[in-house]
Amino acid sequence: MKRININPITRLEGHGTIEIFLDERGDVANTYFQVPELRGFEQFCVGRRAEDMPDITSRICGVCPEAHHMASVKALDNLFAVDPPSAAKKLRELFYMAFFVTDHTTHFYALGGPDFILGPDAPPAQRNILGVVKKVGLEIGKQVIECRARNYHVIEMLGGRAIHPTAGVPGGWSKSISEEERAEIQAIAEANIEFALFTLELFDKLVLGNSAYLDLVTSEVYLHRTYSMGTVDENNRLNFYDGKIRVVDPEGREFLKYNPSDYVSHIAERVEPWTYLKFPYLKKLGWKGFTDGAESGVYTATPLARLNVCDGLATSRAQEQFERFYQTFGSQRVNGRFQPVHHRLATHWARLIELLYAAERMKELAVDPEITSPQVRNIPQRIAGEGIGCVEAPRGTLTHHYVTDENAILKRVNLVVGTTNNYAAMSMSIKRVAEKLIHGHDVIEEGLLNRVEMAFRLYDPCLSCATHSLPGSMPLIVNIRNPQGEILRSLRRD
Amino acid sequence: MKSLMATIIIGIGNPVLTDDSVGIKVARALAQRLPAQKDTVIRELSAGGLRLMEALEGFEHAIIIDAIVTEGGEAGSVYRLTPSDLAKTRNTCSAHDASLVDALELGKSLGLMLPHEIGIWAIEAGDVRTFSEELTGPVQAAVPRVVEAVIRRLNESAGLAA
Repeated sequence: MKRININPITRLEGHGTIEIFLDERGDVANTYFQVPELRGFEQFCVGRRAEDMPDITSRICGVCPEAHHMASVKALDNLFAVDPPSAAKKLRELFYMAFFVTDHTTHFYALGGPDFILGPDAPPAQRNILGVVKKVGLEIGKQVIECRARNYHVIEMLGGRAIHPTAGVPGGWSKSISEEERAEIQAIAEANIEFALFTLELFDKLVLGNSAYLDLVTSEVYLHRTYSMGTVDENNRLNFYDGKIRVVDPEGREFLKYNPSDYVSHIAERVEPWTYLKFPYLKKLGWKGFTDGAESGVYTATPLARLNVCDGLATSRAQEQFERFYQTFGSQRVNGRFQPVHHRLATHWARLIELLYAAERMKELAVDPEITSPQVRNIPQRIAGEGIGCVEAPRGTLTHHYVTDENAILKRVNLVVGTTNNYAAMSMSIKRVAEKLIHGHDVIEEGLLNRVEMAFRLYDPCLSCATHSLPGSMPLIVNIRNPQGEILRSLRRD
Repeated sequence: MKSLMATIIIGIGNPVLTDDSVGIKVARALAQRLPAQKDTVIRELSAGGLRLMEALEGFEHAIIIDAIVTEGGEAGSVYRLTPSDLAKTRNTCSAHDASLVDALELGKSLGLMLPHEIGIWAIEAGDVRTFSEELTGPVQAAVPRVVEAVIRRLNESAGLAA
């Protein structure tokens, strides 16, 4: 064993680099957010049993294994042509709500919050969860950790394991819950509702009460009038677990509504030579480049997009917050739905409204008399040969698509993950930031890194599963090049 | 109740991304080698940051095994890292919440009981970009070496405590 001077580079390779090309005048000509390749996911899966996919796909990402597990299990329902019993669907959704509460809570306090609670120009070393806790108090830090712990407990109780859940099976869920477990989950859901309300109040006080932050949220920098995508139930209300995919245009008119299994008819993927990650777009409109507006096929699938597509939320307190959200931005109700909000920084607020919805929905499910039913599985009787499963992951619509032979051995696998949906929009936000802060070769360095970071944080890109890899952390690398492609300056933040 | 002398061993990584899984492979090998002991817990994890800090809570000692890729490093090389090197391995940080250093500081300020000693064993990976459950040759060869070294380390600690 030897001691050497360690200079790790993997964390850079595994992630995106931003390339900014300047024109002759030194203004921004173009920007490229490159995501590197990971090889062989489909080959890894082909030849395996389809039943193994909920386990395999939950391992491709350390951040949202629960979302992959759920999309995969739903794809298997479809593949084996089996409809789970009602109690199994409710258990799955209950499990999924606990996951959403954990993920959205962590995002706000560790990633989104620092931009607002400490401000966009606070030193990078402070713009993290430690800085947040120093500012708002240790008690809140404790509550965040407690919230994570109690919901991981639910995930383990329902999912069978703390990480890499095992409970989902084609046709249902492998275990039912006892009355004692149900009562415990109910109490946890109630604590989650309180915590979500508290968090919304905190957001109110710190952000909505501060005109400088409100100006930032509504500024042109992060404004993109794109199409929005999300899942809605039969009453056109938001749903994370199941429903139809609805797409609304930049004005809020319904553009598409389809079964997730029809996604190939509506979504195409653009390949660009400078990155390995594809850009999904709306087929009907076609790829018009990195541009927004009604003519462009670029769409987003984020917490903000999900609120934009639905007519309302199915739980009472989240619905109140939903209405307040749109009224704050001056949106009018047109044809039963609020006009979309396109200020991307509002995604943070939308995420907190979703947090409250997930907590309230968790409580509804926990008190549902059917939730303790032992009828949690229908046994598959045949192999349909193709299965598509879809859920809303915290970062956007997640689709798993499997094709098998007559023995359910995988022949083809395709995943469209949450982050991928938003890759084009993210690239547009980065370009806008660069255009704003680079003029005539003059670069406002710290401002550029902070504002690119803010763009990342609002989308919370999970390049790990977008490229099917697990990151260590995400350093930010920005190369600024002249028209000949030579690097003029390289900015980096680890 | 965890005893004060309890040790947690965590293998961290992506189990299906070739050499990124080496930490997990070492943890599994250790689970085979070590008799079930009430004061030693072996776990696998796929996410760093807050999740890793939370897993460390309540233990006196911690051993973390992870993959690393260094500039010009030779696949299969094994490095012993100190807590100040924590940010350097592939999986101990999380892009989605916090670095482990920040997470540990947060845990301490919240009064969580965290290990006073954290040892990290990092193994130089050859390939971390291809999906496979198999390690590459040199990294596979490093697994028994790390297993032995960790066991020696545990025995030394036990000797010191006796």
